[in-house]
Amino acid sequence: MTATTGAAQPAHPERPGRSDGVCSEFTVFTKIKPGHADALRKDLAKIAGAENRAALRQIGTLHDARHVIFDNDTQFMFASVFDGSWDTYIDDFGKTVVGKHFDTIFAHSEGFPGVSDPGVKDWFVAHQEPAGVFVSSYPDLTVQQIWKDHRVDEAFEEVLDTPEFRAALDNPANAELVATPAFQKLLEEASA
Amino acid sequence: MNTAARTSAASVRVEIDDVQSGALRPRPVPYEGKFIFLRVDDRHAGRALLRRLLPLTAAGLPEADRSRDAWVAVAFTYQGLEALGVPQESLDSFPQAFREGMAARAELIGDAGESAPAHWEAPFGTGDVHIALSALSSDAAQLDKELERARVAYEDTPGVQVIWQQDVHQLPTGRTTFGFRDGISHPNIEGVGLPGSNPQEAPIKAGEFILGYPDETGSLPPMPSPEVLGRNGTYVAVRKVHTNVAAWRQYLRANSSSAEEEALLAAKMVGRWPSGAPLALAPEHDDPELAADPHRVNNFLYRENDDRGFRCPAGAHIRRTNPRDSTIIGDARMHRLIRRGTTYGPPLPEGVLEDDGADRGLVGVFIGAHLERQFEFIKAEWVNDGNFIGHPGEKDPVAGHHGGTGSVTIPEKPVRRRLQNLPSFVVTRGGEYCFVPGLRALRWLAELED
Repeated sequence: MTATTGAAQPAHPERPGRSDGVCSEFTVFTKIKPGHADALRKDLAKIAGAENRAALRQIGTLHDARHVIFDNDTQFMFASVFDGSWDTYIDDFGKTVVGKHFDTIFAHSEGFPGVSDPGVKDWFVAHQEPAGVFVSSYPDLTVQQIWKDHRVDEAFEEVLDTPEFRAALDNPANAELVATPAFQKLLEEASA
Repeated sequence: MNTAARTSAASVRVEIDDVQSGALRPRPVPYEGKFIFLRVDDRHAGRALLRRLLPLTAAGLPEADRSRDAWVAVAFTYQGLEALGVPQESLDSFPQAFREGMAARAELIGDAGESAPAHWEAPFGTGDVHIALSALSSDAAQLDKELERARVAYEDTPGVQVIWQQDVHQLPTGRTTFGFRDGISHPNIEGVGLPGSNPQEAPIKAGEFILGYPDETGSLPPMPSPEVLGRNGTYVAVRKVHTNVAAWRQYLRANSSSAEEEALLAAKMVGRWPSGAPLALAPEHDDPELAADPHRVNNFLYRENDDRGFRCPAGAHIRRTNPRDSTIIGDARMHRLIRRGTTYGPPLPEGVLEDDGADRGLVGVFIGAHLERQFEFIKAEWVNDGNFIGHPGEKDPVAGHHGGTGSVTIPEKPVRRRLQNLPSFVVTRGGEYCFVPGLRALRWLAELED
């Protein structure tokens, strides 16, 4: 059995793009194929609906993304913020509706090889323009954590609305728990 | 904040004798008043009317004694200026919100559902309101005298029609239809010579309220041209709001188990007790003695003693609409307003919980040099949302349009109270954006040619 030796190797080569905490920005600029702007606009409208919301759930690392047609319909920008690096899951996406969206949208750009092409990451890197500054208001939170925090908060607020919780706080049997610093922190959030 | 910059240019003097009394003066106490809307069918007639109104349009500082104050004010909608034949170039120089009018901005300021312009009382929002006359006085005899002069002016002017009138008056209780004293707070405006009601408020730049002077940004507010028309003018949002007092009382009753609890819940939603005593200074129970002291009734801030809102909830009506120094998103000084609420209709008798079908409410005027940054911002961000205080989606418990789905968070130890399924207690009956010109500008309008 051969033990893994030395420092852990990054799973991917260093990618361009700036990070702030757990997330990083990924912006690519491409040339729209002549005469394709309207078709691109139509395809963007198609993915803007409920299906896209589901796709975001499936990705699970995308904070936000925008698709912009500019420069008199000749250029296209895709700007996004991912947890970790944009390409971590790109192979996985290839098999999902997300990959299908990428294929549909970038098919209107010159030179796009297709999301399943082995050269696709290099193509993206070649078209990437890193930000001069990138900051996040929640640099410690991944998309997964934000979703989790949201679920916890909703449940917490629901518990606060129950008279049983209010009664439990006054129950001497719970005094020890209520007095713990951790629980007091919780009550700090519960009171306002 | 940049206090040094704020205090260094304190030499600005507002030409107060050119500023209409309807712009800067606090509402008299007690008060009687009337709003009259006119339509101008002929521009020459409109100008003739202005020439007759000029001698009775008041300007300058109010009587030192607020109980002796009285005035007539003249304001114009965009359509009104158009009807008077103001040149297009000048019309185009007015800000977009004013040119569009309140009805067109209804969605933005939250007038939806039963408060939507489609349900407004005519002539609000129809484009027929051209001139808004208002008269306020501390006593009925003085008001009648002023109104009689105005009546002679417009009745002697064919081509100008009275299309709407609304009497307003202080209820015998001295309180709003909901049962709370109002008209307490007035901003401290630099260079006007009129004291603000909160001794702890640093002076606000005159340009926040009057065109032609620097505002809180350090620049001159955008001013319509020519200068003679814009200078010493301001904008007013006039609104008629029906109050559903029975629904208010029913909601309070249903959500409390004693008269004391009911009074406290109402105070938590308003931010003051019925006497006007603020929760920030009187957190436990009403304090009529404090409320009667003009030096104390509005002498408070929030941050030092109540930033988290255990006394006065961040979501309470008076704290939302004037957050003072609370921790909020943005800078509250950029969103100050002069507010004058005046009551119409009969009071719902004390103790009655069933609606008697009577129309009662208030005509509110909201004055500032920036319709978008002040009135509209306050409606959109502070009244109809709660993101600025960390409660996105929550609205002003009193002034918000809840439609049965509202919620309000009331901080309390150990666990906050959260009221849900709030109905609306107010319905917008209509509103207009008006320009309140200075006296020189009024003369310029009266003397337009062709």
